Amino acid sequence: MITGFISSILSLSIPLILAALGGVFSVRAGIMALGLESMLLFGAFTATVGSYYTGSAFIGIFAGIFGGMVIGLAHGVFCIRYKMNQVISGIGLNLLAVASTTLLMQIIWKNKGSSVQVTSVSLRLSFLKDIPIIGDIFAKQSIILVITVALCVVGWFVLFKTPFGLQTRFVGENPKAASSVGIHVHKYKYIGVTICGALAGLGGAYISIDSLNMFVRNMSAGRGYIAVAIAILSRYNPIYALLAGLLFGAFEALQIYLQGYGVPSQLIQMIPYIVTLLVLVIGVQNITPPAGVGAHEDD
Amino acid sequence: MIKKNNLKNLIVPIFALFLALLVSALIMLLSGYNPITAYAVIFKGALGSKTGICNSLVQATPLIFTGLAFMVAKKATLINLGVEGQLYVGALVGALVGTVDFHVPFIIHILLVMISGMIAGGLAGLFIGWLKVRFGSNEVITTMMTNFIIINFTSYLVTYPLKAEGPTAQSERMLPTALLPKLFAKTQLTWGIIIVVVIAILIKIFIDKTKMGYEIKAVGHNKRAAQTAGIKVGHVILFSMFLSGAIAGLGGAVQVMSVNRRFIAGFSADYGFGGISVAALANDSALGIIISGFIFGLLRNGAKYLNMTSRIPTEFVSVVQALVVLFVAAPLMIEKILNIFKKKKEIK
Amino acid sequence: MIRTIEMKNIIKQFPLVRAVDNVSFMIKAGEIHSLLGENGAGKTCLMKILYGMLNSEKGTIKINGKVVQIKNPKMAIDLGIGMVHQHFMLTPVMTITENIIVNNEPLYKKGLFVDYTRARKQVQELIDKYNFNIDANAYVKDLSVGEQQRVEILKAIYRGAKILILDEPTAVLTPQEVGELFTIMRQLKEAGTGIVIITHKLKETLEIADCISVLRDGKMIRHRETLENLNEKILAEMMVGREVELNIRADESNMGEPYFFVNNCNLKNDGRDILTDINFEIRKGEILGIAGIEGNGQTELIEILTGLRKATSIKIMKGEIEIKGQSSDFLRAKIGHIPEDRLDRGLIAQMTIEENFILGYHNLSQYVKHGFLNLKNSKENTLKAIRAYKIKTPNEKEVVSSLSGGNQQKVVVARVVSQNPDVLIVAQPTRGVDVGAMEYIHKQILKLKKEHKTILLISADLEEVYDLSDRIAVIYNGKINYILDKNKTNQLELGLLMTGGTLND
Repeated sequence: MITGFISSILSLSIPLILAALGGVFSVRAGIMALGLESMLLFGAFTATVGSYYTGSAFIGIFAGIFGGMVIGLAHGVFCIRYKMNQVISGIGLNLLAVASTTLLMQIIWKNKGSSVQVTSVSLRLSFLKDIPIIGDIFAKQSIILVITVALCVVGWFVLFKTPFGLQTRFVGENPKAASSVGIHVHKYKYIGVTICGALAGLGGAYISIDSLNMFVRNMSAGRGYIAVAIAILSRYNPIYALLAGLLFGAFEALQIYLQGYGVPSQLIQMIPYIVTLLVLVIGVQNITPPAGVGAHEDD
Repeated sequence: MIKKNNLKNLIVPIFALFLALLVSALIMLLSGYNPITAYAVIFKGALGSKTGICNSLVQATPLIFTGLAFMVAKKATLINLGVEGQLYVGALVGALVGTVDFHVPFIIHILLVMISGMIAGGLAGLFIGWLKVRFGSNEVITTMMTNFIIINFTSYLVTYPLKAEGPTAQSERMLPTALLPKLFAKTQLTWGIIIVVVIAILIKIFIDKTKMGYEIKAVGHNKRAAQTAGIKVGHVILFSMFLSGAIAGLGGAVQVMSVNRRFIAGFSADYGFGGISVAALANDSALGIIISGFIFGLLRNGAKYLNMTSRIPTEFVSVVQALVVLFVAAPLMIEKILNIFKKKKEIK
Repeated sequence: MIRTIEMKNIIKQFPLVRAVDNVSFMIKAGEIHSLLGENGAGKTCLMKILYGMLNSEKGTIKINGKVVQIKNPKMAIDLGIGMVHQHFMLTPVMTITENIIVNNEPLYKKGLFVDYTRARKQVQELIDKYNFNIDANAYVKDLSVGEQQRVEILKAIYRGAKILILDEPTAVLTPQEVGELFTIMRQLKEAGTGIVIITHKLKETLEIADCISVLRDGKMIRHRETLENLNEKILAEMMVGREVELNIRADESNMGEPYFFVNNCNLKNDGRDILTDINFEIRKGEILGIAGIEGNGQTELIEILTGLRKATSIKIMKGEIEIKGQSSDFLRAKIGHIPEDRLDRGLIAQMTIEENFILGYHNLSQYVKHGFLNLKNSKENTLKAIRAYKIKTPNEKEVVSSLSGGNQQKVVVARVVSQNPDVLIVAQPTRGVDVGAMEYIHKQILKLKKEHKTILLISADLEEVYDLSDRIAVIYNGKINYILDKNKTNQLELGLLMTGGTLND
């Protein structure tokens, strides 16, 4: 029972962690990531489409990553090149993702609510199944769990130990200063939002063709916004994003378990959102984002 | 100097709308539909008959409310995405007040419904404002979270404790004294449209001519200068969020008084987020929102008509809505595109 | 090995103004070259072109006679040109080492990770070589302004700069720190570095420069002039193009009884003492100046005295009345405030002159009735002020951001003065304002003194404080240990006190 619960926490956390990790990279490069919701949703959609047309979940995953990257890049172009208000860009993209995925759903599958069933990711950590306890928790997890954890660790090294990471953080803190030492500020910002889109797209792909095998209208259900809160709570540190993501995943798992106890589903579904609200109110008071978020080097 | 700005203020939104319609047409084309006939049907359905125009106005009414609500908060730099939730709260409370028999003439009952809707929505908005002022919480996320919470909770309320008889998740039917009278028989159009236009005019007067409106604008532009000038920034933020929520709540109340006649779970066809597009297209001008709300109202109505006659999905309008928000916020991009057109003209 | 850099016939055009108009400029290795000019004369612009931060429309740059392309800072850095900016380009939350090595990081052999150990060592060696006296591990946010400037210079040297451009380096330094900077500059000059110092400080130019060039309205008025036969007055007139009255002095007569009292002012924040036991009184018709290096509590003191910050303890009296509450209460009590940073606290850039003119006073019955704005009154009064102060604008509905800095400051001064305050708190009135406008504003302040207003002047510009004030208080580390009569002290002594020195008689 407990192992089942922990297992749920892990699988529910994956999209949250991935999206939050994306947010970390975007914000570290100085671009707000309020459009994570759109990257998740669009990634979920393109993954389903990719799997639908090719029959391969593997291709679907890459399609999901690609879909997220497209949104990330669009956000980048709007904010970097056209100096759009970054909040509005995120919100506009969120609106666009919902509208366009619902529209395309109807065009492709003639159904407003969900797509048809497609091939989903089946690669699991089944080699662990004979190990006591660990096996019960991990054997049914997708390979993407391992990828997620690996990305967090790699992300930490990239951000804090490599020259690229130092330069990116510099761009996020003070783009003018970065420009004055010859850093090509736009390049780093574009890379930041593209990484963000790719990661969130992967998270979206997991939602549609790993934990499920279809696309459902608006299936991201606000997780993109929750991921923003996770990114803030993690102080924009990839390892903390992993931990904070697990925390929120725990509340999502709680929600699913309570549904079996006769409490009205609408009330239970409120839980993750209430938790996020509380976290935002109590937990993030003294966290400051990089000083150059939203700034341009030629202000 | 001023004239140039005014022209710019008009050109960008108009062109943004044009661009959004164009992109949508492109998507239609790529999906195998004929955009020209599609838009023709939309405009014929939405404007070609008395019923059409009335229905367009019916669609426009809640959009103008939410557009005004969003704009008022934006003047103080707050992004109130919670209009959707505040709409719900106002609708629910209004619907409930509408089921109670106060033994008063219908004008009073309607006023009671309106006021209760405003207060309910206002309190919801005030909550968001309080979170911002007291804890510094980013209102984009807090509003999205409260939206989900409110929508779920109101749905719960009319599925269990407040549910009316029958299979649908809805509240009791409102009393006839709480319903807005129709403007034209055999149409859905009620006095709601008059109310919203009056509200828009009142808001314009409020922002341009009152001290509070001045303070809201000051805080919106430069909090520190406002503080130095003795303006109580926190109070202004709380007030503008309350006002914003109240307008959205009133929109919800008017909606149940004119169209739904009770609170139905999930009744809002994204009126809240549609308000963002309406405000964007109107460049945050109160009177412009009336026009912009009508434009989106007619697009939505026309799209319904189009869907009925040709099965083309109504989501095209949602795509246009989203694109308008993006394009209006990128004047630099619009300028660039306009310059391409200018250059083409010069070559010719 | 750079011997000379020649900029020839440089033109830089912005949409509305030609910032650099056919300018030729030469700098040689081993010289200290002062580039003088008013605000907006084009000196920073010209140097930004040399450093690749701006691109000129016309003109060439030659190094040692060979034409070079400098399209961005990286190219300038590679060519051996370094620039230290007026507003520091540092990241406070990172260490000195990180700030210096960024984009030039030493790597481990595998090339993937940064070798922070080697970086710290290299940086510390450079620090010690030039006696900069800072710790490579320190966080920039913990450094003083002078120390941060040294980090900026280090950044340029670490990248191999042979020509160093310093943009207004002494604007934020005390006289002592300026001395230290000049020592470093002379050391670098000995080592063969050529230094361009952009400045409008005339005294310092005379002290440190080997030669000067003067820009005015984008044109080169004098080039590579040596300093014999030059003095401050001549330099000022070159910069402005007309005769200038420097060092406007206060008239010491005619002061009334003590009127404004500040007692027992203390401010503690997070356990730190920001202000300790501040006491002073000012008479009617007197200007009390508070001199001090920025960051010694002045900003907080100003905020407390204008109701923008709550003190731990304070008693403020104006005549017989105690003043307390928030900024609205202070404004109502006729305490006028000309803020340090006009675009930050003084004006709302996106609003019109008229809207800015009533800002702070929009609660008064002359401008508000039953919650509605009295637009007729605000328009009339704004037009009166525009005429009286000669503010350059077509009408009162112009947006304030379209005005020049000097005219913007005039709007602030007009607004505050037209409400006839009894007490005036003036902060950094001529920061970022050129010699011509400085003259006007100083005259205005002295006019108010003549009208028996009680004036508190807070400024980091020691010369300004000294010229205008009757008495001068020195604030250091949040304490005022000395309040001296102007004619019983001098600028050198004050400079010493500003850095924590004491008077030993």
